[in-house]
Amino acid sequence: MSIDMSQFYQVFFEESEEHLAAMESLLLDLDIDNPDLEQLNAIFRAAHSIKGSAGTFGFTDLAETTHILENLLDRIRKAELSLRPEMVDAFLEAGDVLRSMLEAHQGRGSVDPELVTRICGRLRQLSDAPAPAAAPSPEAAPVAPADDEVAVRIPEETGRRLFDIQFVPTEIAVQGVGLDNLLDELRSLGELEIVSRSEPGEESAAYWELRLLTDKPQEAFVDQIDFIAENGAWRITEDTAVAADGSTAFGFFPDSPGLPDEARGYGLYASAAKEEEAYGFFEPLPATTVEDEAYGFFEPLPTVATEKKDDDAGYGFFEPLPAAAPAPAEPVAAAPMAEEGDGFGFFAPLTPPVPVTPPVEAVAPKPAPARAERQAKTPVSASADSSIRVSIEKVDQLINLVGELVITQAMLLQTSAQMQDAAPERLLNGLTQLERNTRDLQESVMSIRMMPISFVFSRFPRVVRDLSAKLGKQVELKTLGETTELDKSLIERITDPLTHLIRNSLDHGIESPEKRIAAGKSPTGTITLKAYHQGGNIVIEVGDDGGGLPRDKILQKARERGLPVSDQMSDQEVFNLIFEAGFSTADQVTDVSGRGVGMDVVRRNIQSMGGRVEIDSMLGIGTRMTVRLPLTLAILDGMSVAVGDQIYILPLSYVLESLQPSPGDIKTLSNQARVVQVRGEYLPVVVLHEMFNLKSAWTDFTQGIMVVLDADGARVALFVDALLGQHQVVIKSLEANYRKVPGVSGATIMGDGHVALILDVSAIAAMARTSMQKAG
Amino acid sequence: MEAMISAGAVAGDEEQVASEFLTFTLGSEEYAIDILKVQEIRGYETPTLIANAPPFIKGVINLRGIIVPIVDLRIKFRLGKVEYTPFTVVIILNIAGRVIGVVVDSVSDVLSLTPAQIRQAPDFSGSFDTKYIVGLASVEARMLIVTDIERLMTSADMELIEAAAE
Repeated sequence: MSIDMSQFYQVFFEESEEHLAAMESLLLDLDIDNPDLEQLNAIFRAAHSIKGSAGTFGFTDLAETTHILENLLDRIRKAELSLRPEMVDAFLEAGDVLRSMLEAHQGRGSVDPELVTRICGRLRQLSDAPAPAAAPSPEAAPVAPADDEVAVRIPEETGRRLFDIQFVPTEIAVQGVGLDNLLDELRSLGELEIVSRSEPGEESAAYWELRLLTDKPQEAFVDQIDFIAENGAWRITEDTAVAADGSTAFGFFPDSPGLPDEARGYGLYASAAKEEEAYGFFEPLPATTVEDEAYGFFEPLPTVATEKKDDDAGYGFFEPLPAAAPAPAEPVAAAPMAEEGDGFGFFAPLTPPVPVTPPVEAVAPKPAPARAERQAKTPVSASADSSIRVSIEKVDQLINLVGELVITQAMLLQTSAQMQDAAPERLLNGLTQLERNTRDLQESVMSIRMMPISFVFSRFPRVVRDLSAKLGKQVELKTLGETTELDKSLIERITDPLTHLIRNSLDHGIESPEKRIAAGKSPTGTITLKAYHQGGNIVIEVGDDGGGLPRDKILQKARERGLPVSDQMSDQEVFNLIFEAGFSTADQVTDVSGRGVGMDVVRRNIQSMGGRVEIDSMLGIGTRMTVRLPLTLAILDGMSVAVGDQIYILPLSYVLESLQPSPGDIKTLSNQARVVQVRGEYLPVVVLHEMFNLKSAWTDFTQGIMVVLDADGARVALFVDALLGQHQVVIKSLEANYRKVPGVSGATIMGDGHVALILDVSAIAAMARTSMQKAG
Repeated sequence: MEAMISAGAVAGDEEQVASEFLTFTLGSEEYAIDILKVQEIRGYETPTLIANAPPFIKGVINLRGIIVPIVDLRIKFRLGKVEYTPFTVVIILNIAGRVIGVVVDSVSDVLSLTPAQIRQAPDFSGSFDTKYIVGLASVEARMLIVTDIERLMTSADMELIEAAAE
């Protein structure tokens, strides 16, 4: 096994994060009193997948913690333990620990070893708790449908059984103490005989065969074997010659160590086929690996033999495994297969040789491998069709290139327009078609980056659960519009502000149950998260049915802090005060919120994404925070304006209106700052050519245009020479090769290939305010 | 006016440890810079102005989809006549992961210089740009000012980079 594993690390990290997220949401959904077996299985599978791949990649800390987690899960799943709320808490906490381990492995943050020990201890303690009445439902097991692997629990027979265990240990297990631990563990279960083993100095992928005589069921050690063994390269068979009838037949052969090898071989098929369907399709596997070791009866299999020759020393067949690994969590339908780890599907094609085996073999095994193959194939191909993993750089490169194409296309269109009648009609037709196609292409390329907002929303049930428990409030979280899509980079950046808004609603908005009952409301508060598209924006609302924002209290606090406020201010303006740095109306500072930091950060973050926050609130009814964001950060709807010989782009979302002022509309304050009257309101004038030291084509304001901008709730009028048009522009960074320019948020390339700068409206308004203050 | 010559086309056989330098003129002075820092050479096109930038920063241009700032070294060092003709040349540099365009009077040639050929420059106290001069080299009758272009462009004097500018 000399493949460089590190190239798959990223995939592993991403996958494990997904598994953890899936686990968390499943845990939160779980009905504690009456857990759904399917859900428990799904949680178990997620944990198992993490363990399996962590082991493969050598992240032993992850693997070990997950292993403990899995043991407990397994016992719950088998109904040996009943699910209790503290278990869910422990699982969630373990999930957090695992996540921090993952991050530590990626070089972010570190893991507190004490925390790990504590959580492992807690899980073990929960797991070691005595099972309620030895076997909970012995009757149920045999009746359960045969193809439901999980439901088939081999009842505890009194007799001792002999298990034949074959596996190829992982490199790590060989080097470390894993193997010794395994042997010790097995010895503790019963009598252990080592049939064959790899020599200490031998290559890692050597083959082990053990025989265990024990009164414990197979489940008692199956996990340990799987843990130590190379992914999928293990098999446990019970040495009962005629186990064809499944579990009930065990009683006939409680003790059969003396069976001849051949009989064992057949028995192995029968039992595997009947009761261990998931393993059934592995049959040819040991044959390829250990042919030389007295398994002569496999020899007549020509196909298998060829396989062996092709595969370097019998374990080369593991190589394609990582390819199979990226398949996302299997659909539930594949339960029996998925349960034993990902990637087994790869082995399925090896099964066909089985029916070719000598006829002595009886009919029994045939249906099983066929089924296994079917099961193995469906999920793999289905998931391979549905999605691929591509690095974000590749997508960005594609977006850039398409942006270039759009610019070139616009350039061609402009040139042809200049040719006027000289351009042949066919050329013009072709160009029109090109325009349409490039626009479609751009749209579909942009959509690659789009992700449903459920990626963000899915983490909030946990936030609400933890926080409401901490604050002693009863809160229900409703989410609407989870499928609304927005740009991936926005998804990443919106998470923190949204989390903060939700924490805020929970802490300040929703009242305690007593207060709510007193106010005639239901004791359970509701926080509603809603996302939808509106125009070119995505709107995310965080609403609560709590107490609402107290206008008087905010005004009073603002006065205490010396902010310029008056009673005449509109509700909107008053509510916006809570976004001021250091502002808090909370009577007491909790560790959740109330320090007054946060809301200003929320607003800053949202603004840096080109978005806005609005607050609506009614006292006693509730509060609603509305976040408006552009769909993407890469493209902007802009209005081009001319100042002197330069062209600038104004983001359209800030533009309210534009007008040509009449001579009497412009007034000066202290002969310096100017204001313009727009429908009875005086707005400060920002003269762009003065601010940027350019020469305007006009000497008089009445010749140019005033563009009224809404910058963070404050309106300003920007004086420009002329309006040129509206464009969708691709945003380019100015800072990549230059530095930040005050008043400019970025640059774009116009249809003629020239660069136009995109104005930073908020910064311009702020610059205007400071110059007004200086003047005033 | 597209790329006039492609960078790194000339190879020196006779020198073993020689590095190659691109030489250009600013007024009557001839400068040499490490050719490995040069991405391409192209004609001058009117850049888009950047508001309130120092006069030697002419603005930004679109170089195949990348926004590239243009610095006029003639203005910066007060050398030569500052005029923009179809023959005005912009050297596109690739420095510290950034792409920067530099306007010069003309590009002369590509030379191989061994370290032995580059002599220590006399120390002019007070002149700020001596610290960017690696040394002086004479090739035939010409005196070349070998410049550490990376150090020059990333310096605070050029106001091109955020950290240096503040």
